[in-house]
Amino acid sequence: MSEVQRKKYSEQEKSKIFDQEFMPNIDSMYNFAYRLTFDEDDAKDLVQDTYLKAFRFINSFEQGTNAKAWLFRILKNSFINDYRKKSKQPAKIDYQEVETYYNSDDVDYTSTTDLRVDAVKDMLGDEISNALNSLAVDFRTVIILCDLEGFTYEEMAKILDIPIGTVRSRLHRARNLLKDKLRSYASTMGYSTDEEE
Amino acid sequence: MDDNSTPSGDRKLSCSDVSKCFQLLESILDGENMPNSKEMLNEKLAKCEPCFKHFHLEQAIRDVLKTKCTKQAVPSELEASIREIIQDKK
Repeated sequence: MSEVQRKKYSEQEKSKIFDQEFMPNIDSMYNFAYRLTFDEDDAKDLVQDTYLKAFRFINSFEQGTNAKAWLFRILKNSFINDYRKKSKQPAKIDYQEVETYYNSDDVDYTSTTDLRVDAVKDMLGDEISNALNSLAVDFRTVIILCDLEGFTYEEMAKILDIPIGTVRSRLHRARNLLKDKLRSYASTMGYSTDEEE
Repeated sequence: MDDNSTPSGDRKLSCSDVSKCFQLLESILDGENMPNSKEMLNEKLAKCEPCFKHFHLEQAIRDVLKTKCTKQAVPSELEASIREIIQDKK
């Protein structure tokens, strides 16, 4: 993960790493980019930038380490440093939501939702996707990394440059927010919730 | 693990340490390896109703996220255009 150049790869080695370790992740990369930007062209630009950076800094990639995590970290940083700055559309963030949840390091682990398992299982793909997309970007990101892409807490900590404890608590908060969204879908769709019993 | 049908009569209805238990359950669901996690999990699910409910709801949410979220198809020209730019820069 470090930017320090560890070794110099030959042109042949570079091509091999690029083809065998970087390119096979393009599907996950594009979907991550799309879920950050909600725009096909922006997602394409972000993925393209990421791959160009990955190639330029390929000597700082250590073979045998997780290429997907390395690429995701570059993409995440590109999104924060480049995309958010030049984007005409400000990132859609519910600041109050973020502040409320960030201002304390303590996580409330009490059960905050009366959402039922059956209601969750019956949800449509669009409902799940919309609920996820409606979360503030930092919360959306941890759920994407953990649940959609299967990264470990340790990998997520490296991708996001935050301690593992923060990964854990942010994930918990993200899922609670998601549950709130799903619960409101459930009640508008007429699924039963515990409250109605 | 899918023991949804287990009658809840034998489980206690309140959990004495919700924070610790829920954090543990969530870590296990996220695939984090903890010592004795299987034994602890089985005991919680058998004996504690809030833990049982929380575990199954969290599990259902992870499952629908994994299986139902719509995926975007990668634009067909993207890979080629990345390779082209890199080739030009060489």
